[in-house]
Amino acid sequence: MNTLDAHAWLTDHGDYLFRVARRQLHSDELAEDAVQETLLAALTAQARYAGDASPRTWLTGILKHKIVDLIRRNVREVEIPRDEEGEEAIDSLFKQDGHWAEPLRPWGNPQTEAELSQLRRVLDECADRLKPVMAQVFSLREVAGMETEEICKELDITPTNCWVLLHRARVFMRQCLELNGFSKAGAA
Amino acid sequence: MKWIPTCRDATELASRAMDERLPLTNRMALRLHLAICENCTRFNQQLQEMRRLFREETGANDDAAGLAPEARRRIESELQKKLGS
Repeated sequence: MNTLDAHAWLTDHGDYLFRVARRQLHSDELAEDAVQETLLAALTAQARYAGDASPRTWLTGILKHKIVDLIRRNVREVEIPRDEEGEEAIDSLFKQDGHWAEPLRPWGNPQTEAELSQLRRVLDECADRLKPVMAQVFSLREVAGMETEEICKELDITPTNCWVLLHRARVFMRQCLELNGFSKAGAA
Repeated sequence: MKWIPTCRDATELASRAMDERLPLTNRMALRLHLAICENCTRFNQQLQEMRRLFREETGANDDAAGLAPEARRRIESELQKKLGS
């Protein structure tokens, strides 16, 4: 290991690691911290890097743990169950008898590169608008594909809270995507 | 919950089914509801579609901004410090 390698990691993989972290942490600052901690940990652990995985794969593996660490440190400060807004948002979708207040419109089917790139932007923008803990739990599950049980355990939240957060996040996301041009009518 | 759940209940079940295997009675209730409800079927499909889009795009979003120059410098100097120690 020499200085060159550490520099090369930052140069070659810094932006990539940042983008991966940014999509799961929804904060530039936290994502920068995650990249820094990953590279520092990589320096310490480089003796264990056998070189059979590509550096990017190896660094991304370390990053995954750092992302969960950062969320865990942040999650302590947030009261999860109290979210009246989230409850109201769901109330407003349904009538008293539990039926949908409005029919759901089908989504369009984006094909061109321009449409897909617009879609990616909307996905990320909507996810950024979720409340912090909700955004992070949602992304660990839907973006990173972590198991719910693992998320609850890592973040020390009850399975019920975890599931309520995920459900509200999904309902919010679905609506946000629809309002931002995902529905056929909106895409015209 | 009634034998055939309301739309509101069904959306909760549909969401939960994405995270864990539902108990048999819930699974049956959801299936019954989806068989007769176009809106909830659409809701369920859209949740699946959203997951597919997110997982497909992980990390591959090259048009997103990268590390800010200041952050890059800061990390650089942290690495330097660690190497020096």
